[in-house]
Amino acid sequence: MARGMTMRIPAIRPAAFWSLLALAAIAIGVLALPGRSYSGQDREQLLASASAQHPAGTDALGRDRMVRVSAAFLLSMGGAVMASAAATLAAAGVGTLSAFSPAALGSLAMLACDVFLALPWLFLLMMVRSTLPLTTSPAHSAAITFLILAVVGWPACARAVYRGALELRKSEWMLQARAAGLRDKQIMRHVLPNLTSLLIPQFLICIPAFIIAEANLGALGLGIGEPLPSWGSMLLELDNSPMLMHTAWVYLPIALLILILLLFEGVATKQ
Amino acid sequence: MSDNCLLCVAMQAGYPGKPVLRDIRFELGHGEVLGLVGTSGAGKSTLVQSLLGLLPWRGGRVSGHVMLDGKNLLGLSERDLRKLRGRRVALIPQSPMTALNAAISLEAHFIEAWRAHENGGRAALADRLTELLAEVQLPSDREFLCRRSTQISVGQAQRVLIALALLHRPALLIADEPTSALDPVTQVQVVELLRGLNLEHGISMLYISHDLISVLQLSDRIAVLDGGTIVEDLPVSQIGHGRHAVTRALVNALPAPPEVLMSYRDRRNRETYWPAVAFGD
Repeated sequence: MARGMTMRIPAIRPAAFWSLLALAAIAIGVLALPGRSYSGQDREQLLASASAQHPAGTDALGRDRMVRVSAAFLLSMGGAVMASAAATLAAAGVGTLSAFSPAALGSLAMLACDVFLALPWLFLLMMVRSTLPLTTSPAHSAAITFLILAVVGWPACARAVYRGALELRKSEWMLQARAAGLRDKQIMRHVLPNLTSLLIPQFLICIPAFIIAEANLGALGLGIGEPLPSWGSMLLELDNSPMLMHTAWVYLPIALLILILLLFEGVATKQ
Repeated sequence: MSDNCLLCVAMQAGYPGKPVLRDIRFELGHGEVLGLVGTSGAGKSTLVQSLLGLLPWRGGRVSGHVMLDGKNLLGLSERDLRKLRGRRVALIPQSPMTALNAAISLEAHFIEAWRAHENGGRAALADRLTELLAEVQLPSDREFLCRRSTQISVGQAQRVLIALALLHRPALLIADEPTSALDPVTQVQVVELLRGLNLEHGISMLYISHDLISVLQLSDRIAVLDGGTIVEDLPVSQIGHGRHAVTRALVNALPAPPEVLMSYRDRRNRETYWPAVAFGD
């Protein structure tokens, strides 16, 4: 969606990048304000509209929405970036090793990736989540959520890396390097630098995908545990129609989420 | 098999279900240049990869023997083969731009190729590099060596690859259509450079090309590859007397009779490499 619109605008990538940084700086600023906490409740003002004290109102439990949105943004972005880095690294390892091992072994590894991709992940996630004790701390639940996203996310990426590495294996310079008697170790060192044009877009594309996956899991109650704020738990507010009538500020999280996803798409857009 | 034979080949090669080289037999003496001519698709690249023992890596199979220095390369382990590649036998590839790794500098190419066979430090390489780059007429300053393959011309890239091939002073150079990607002026320069290497250093060469003119400029003997076999193997001066249809077609496609083209070559050689003799004429 963002791609079609942004292709023709030349400097979309830096603009999107700096916008994201600015948003992150604002979010950090909001959290750094004294006396604000994402879990602090103002029992006098449940479901309040915007006020000087709560610029974006409060939720049904009287928690400041601005603070919660800021914290959710930083948490999901940080988690998604780390999960994406982990998934990309795993994919780089598996993809290149498969491409440079004997053909049969490589095909087998890619078959394993296909099987992995075909698993009913939502069902498995629910099972995994239900085995976690109820006392799992919110921080652990956040870590587990992003770990699971990385685990689910790498095989698709590994397929792309595998294809790129196979091309590289057939490349003229690699033949030349072998003809010059370079050791396998020497040659393999140059594989990843030659795949950066593939790995960086993979990394960038995974970030918004993981953000939205976390929001979806959260909306299903499988994601980050309360009282930690997350996109998913805030989107759940939209389920409550009386609340929607009460204040328009409940739309802030979804509006911001869409904006941030568009910005990440903008950063990932190749020019 | 004569004693003077550096490379002695009798082999078949191909890919599963697709034989490419049915029966390849030729010999290459010390200090000799053998020009191997063939039409496109005759199996020249397969031959190059077979000789270097790289065909299995590309999914192909080779049988028969490739004797280098009296050792059968096809019987060697990958480990032992690697030690010969780049040191005893080196390759000058067809497309210079794609044969260099665009992600690293030119200097890094030399460092990697050096470390493949030498334990000596950077100082030893620096000495060799200065000498080598002068030989292939490339600048050896840091600014040039820090460039990447995308920042030099095709002609320079081909010289870099020739220098890389010469790094360990191999006995045999395999040149796989080294001029096909170059403009006519650079083509002549590269052919001259290769001839100089042969005449001054006695490097043996297997010069593979579909361009008979450059083969005539360079080779002592010509072999014609067609349909997966060597159909003709003649001293270069006898090329006009070739009997095979492909040889005849190649000779007929020349812009001038081979004798005329050869006389240019002889005169040039005399003037460049034996000027004293030339004056004595």
